[in-house]
Formats: sequence, structure tokens, C-alpha cells
Amino acid sequence: MASDQPPPRDPDGPVFDGPPLSLEEELAAARAEPEPGPDIDTVNESLNDGINRCPKCGSTDVRQRATTGMLVCLFCRHEWQEARVEEEFGLGVGIDELQGVVIAGGAGEISSDDDVITMTCGGCGADVVVDTAHAMNARCHWCRHTLNVNQQTPNGAVPDAVLPFRLTHAEAVEKIREFASKRRLFAHPRFKKEFIPENVLGVYLPYLVIDARAEAAYAGTGEVETRRWTEKNGDNSTTYYAADVYRLDRSVAFTVDDLTVEGAADRAQMGGSTTNNIVNTVLPFDTKNAVKWNSSYLVGFTSEKRDLDVSDLEPVLEDQLLSIGRSQVEGSLTQFDRGVRWEAEKVDVGGSRWVSMYLPVWLYSYYQENTKMLHYIAVNARTGETMGSVPVSQWRLLAAALTVGTVLEGIAGWILVVSA
Amino acid sequence: MIAEMTQVVVMAGDGAPGWILAAGPAGGAATYWALYRYYRNTDKSHAYERDTLIAAQPVQGNQEKVDHISRTRDSDIDGDNSGNHRARVQRLG
Repeated sequence: MASDQPPPRDPDGPVFDGPPLSLEEELAAARAEPEPGPDIDTVNESLNDGINRCPKCGSTDVRQRATTGMLVCLFCRHEWQEARVEEEFGLGVGIDELQGVVIAGGAGEISSDDDVITMTCGGCGADVVVDTAHAMNARCHWCRHTLNVNQQTPNGAVPDAVLPFRLTHAEAVEKIREFASKRRLFAHPRFKKEFIPENVLGVYLPYLVIDARAEAAYAGTGEVETRRWTEKNGDNSTTYYAADVYRLDRSVAFTVDDLTVEGAADRAQMGGSTTNNIVNTVLPFDTKNAVKWNSSYLVGFTSEKRDLDVSDLEPVLEDQLLSIGRSQVEGSLTQFDRGVRWEAEKVDVGGSRWVSMYLPVWLYSYYQENTKMLHYIAVNARTGETMGSVPVSQWRLLAAALTVGTVLEGIAGWILVVSA
Repeated sequence: MIAEMTQVVVMAGDGAPGWILAAGPAGGAATYWALYRYYRNTDKSHAYERDTLIAAQPVQGNQEKVDHISRTRDSDIDGDNSGNHRARVQRLG
């Protein structure tokens, strides 16, 4: 094991940053324009990588207090919080004037898949490794200081904002127990046997929160009933209809505020082979209360890093804007009492603003071995909304269906006999 | 209730229609599907059309009568998707 560890680096020694560049490359680099900064700079200037100290006593034993949503120093009990990003970065205003794609610093393109970063402990100088795929904090193994990743990294691990947990572990356990207890009768026996809601985990999941200005247009066919009559043919009667057919089009301009989409590819896959729709269902969050990034909010929780870029999610945004537009024009279709069939649609996104956030979810997971399915019961750690997938006992479900079917068939047979 | 249902069916004609025998399989399948959905919630997702802050301007549009159906047994238009906002159709532009 010890032979796998790299030798400790001399802090005063030269840093190896790759093979030397050719003369042409050196000249091109010298002439190059400076890299453009992010559209919205969300770096928390008051923090550096390494140690976050309590502003009152200097201790680094800082974590979030779930009942208040504030940071608390475990040494002197001082409580404080970061500023809300809504006001700090002006995210709640100017949506109807957005032009083009505006991307906040923490939602920038992911240019590195290196999850492991090395930080130098500000307390003792030791190098401490943090796997940012799962955690944004680490204990220095020498001096016990808590180290924090606060600077935005190119691997998508540091977002623009974080929405602190509000529901406590005990409240989440109660919500999950209540949800599962309503679904006991037909639950898989092994799930019931192994159900331990206390194992629920607090997870910060990555999302992109989008403000957008769009105009959507639709074209289709609608029908209006003009007459209805019944014709008798022997003992049978048939209802007939007459209708006018219209070609119609509708358009609507609208803005959306804080549309929230998954920022991790594993969570964004919806379909019958996953239960990701469960986590999706506990949306929305009160994202207006998100605060500036401070990794101390993640102490005691796990996190999942973002791995989708804005360019990956633009089709998802357009799809959701089309759906929103369709819901907006539905009220203008009341005269078409036989319905409307939309046949073509388009959306022009005039402007969009993308901000990455960590949002808090209590997650109970259960892996069903025989179907290779991972089931979740998820609790929105802000609103308490709970949704879940409970594995079912197929034979019990079939027995219930057969019982109901048999009873109904018996009644139907009896009716036939009586009426014959 | 069963007696009332029987009376209704008997009064509807001289003999109950044969399709009533489909009640058993249909009821069994509906029970299975309803229980499965209650436990697995496969049909649930975030209702962003309703739960997002949306500020919309008045809807614009036109309609033009292009045809008349003088006699049909269909009670509604074929392929009505006006209430299914997530069913995508041909994209323009």
C-alpha cells in the first residue's frame, strides 16, 4: 500500500507542468487573447481553498445546522449564513431582457474529469486529497482541521450556489416511514424485511437552474361540433356527429423563472429501467433561498458532482419550454369542443441564464437484486415532498388482480343468466 | 349496489350484452395496474408546467374553417393532444 503513495512534494521546488512547448506554440500562446471570464462571476471571494474559519473564534469545526439552515461553529456555537444569490448576483431580475446564453461561473463547461484534488492544509501544511466526486470536505489527518473545496474547479464539482438542508434526519426518517407504511401489503417481502429508514442519506444533488425568455408557436387542427343526433336501427341506437374543421395556430411569449433540470447524467435518464423519475418528482425547490457557495454546508452530507454542460441541456430546456407554451395556450382552445390535434411547433429562446446549484435531498435507496433495479424513496429536504418506488411482490399483486377479476366475472355471469 | 346494476343491465335490453363477460379480465388488469402504479409511481414526474414561475403575455392566434364533417361516429378529433403537453410533434425552424 505504502509503495503506491507518491513521494511528498517539496513546496519550494519547481512544479512540473508538462513537456516544453515548441517555439510556435509559445508565440501563439503569447499572442492569444486572454480567456474570457464567466458571464456571472459567482466565486465566493471571502473563502479560499483550505480552511474556513468561524468569523468569531477561528475554529474550523463548522457545519450546517439543519433546523436553522445556518452555519454553526461547533466550538463557540456562533451562527451565520452566506448571502442569498438571488440578490447577490441579481438572478431574480431582467429575465424579460435576457439575450443569448448567459452562464454563471459555476455552470461553465466541464473541461476536466479529474475528480481528485490535493489541498494543502492551512493549519499544518500537510497535503490532503479530496475526491470531489463524492465530498467537498476532508479532515486533515494530522491536525484534524476541516478542509474545504471552495474555488470553482474545471470538473463541475463546485456550483454557484447551495440550498441548505432544512429537514432534519429524524423528520426525513418519519416521512419515509410514513410513505412506506402506506405501501406494505403488496410490497416485496424482502424489502419489508430489510427496510431500515434510519439509513437514509442526505445528498446534495447537482441541478442547473434556468431563467429564460422564449416565444413558442404551434399549428394544428381543431374541430367544433355543430350537430349531434341518434339513429335507431332495430334495438340498437347509434349517436352521430357533425363538425366544422379548423386550421389554427397559436403563439405565446413568456418568461420562466428558476426552471430546474438535473445536472448529472445518471439522474437525467428517465425511463422504465430506472427510478430517476422519483427524484425528479420531488422538485421544485425554493431556489430563491439558495446561498453563495460555501462547502461547509456540505459537512456531514454527501454530494454528487455535475457532469452535464449547458450545451447538453439546451435541448432539454427547449423541450420543457415547448411543453410550458402548450400549457399556456390550452386556455385559448375552449371553443374546439371536439379537441385539437397539434401537428407542428417551434420555440425561439431569446435568452437564457444558467446557474448551477446543489439542492438537498434525503435519499433512501434499496437495490432489488432479482430485477437489478435501484429503488429510491426521496424527500425534498426543503419542502418535505416525498415520493418513492417500493418494490412489489408480483405474486401478491397477481393474486389480488385474479380475485377482483374472478368476483367481477362471477357477477357478469350471474347478470347474463338472470337476464337470459 | 350489485342488485341496482343488475336491474340497469336487465332493463337495457332483453338479454345482457356479451361484452359484459369482459368485466372480469378488464377489472383484474385494472386492479393490477392501479396497485403497481401506487407502489412504483412510474408515472410521476415534476410538473414543471404548473410548478414553475411563468409570466406569459396574451396568447396570439388565428383559425380558419377548412372543412366540414357531416356525419361521423367519432365523438372527438383523432389524435387529440391538446392536453398532453409533453407529446412532441414536428419541430419547425
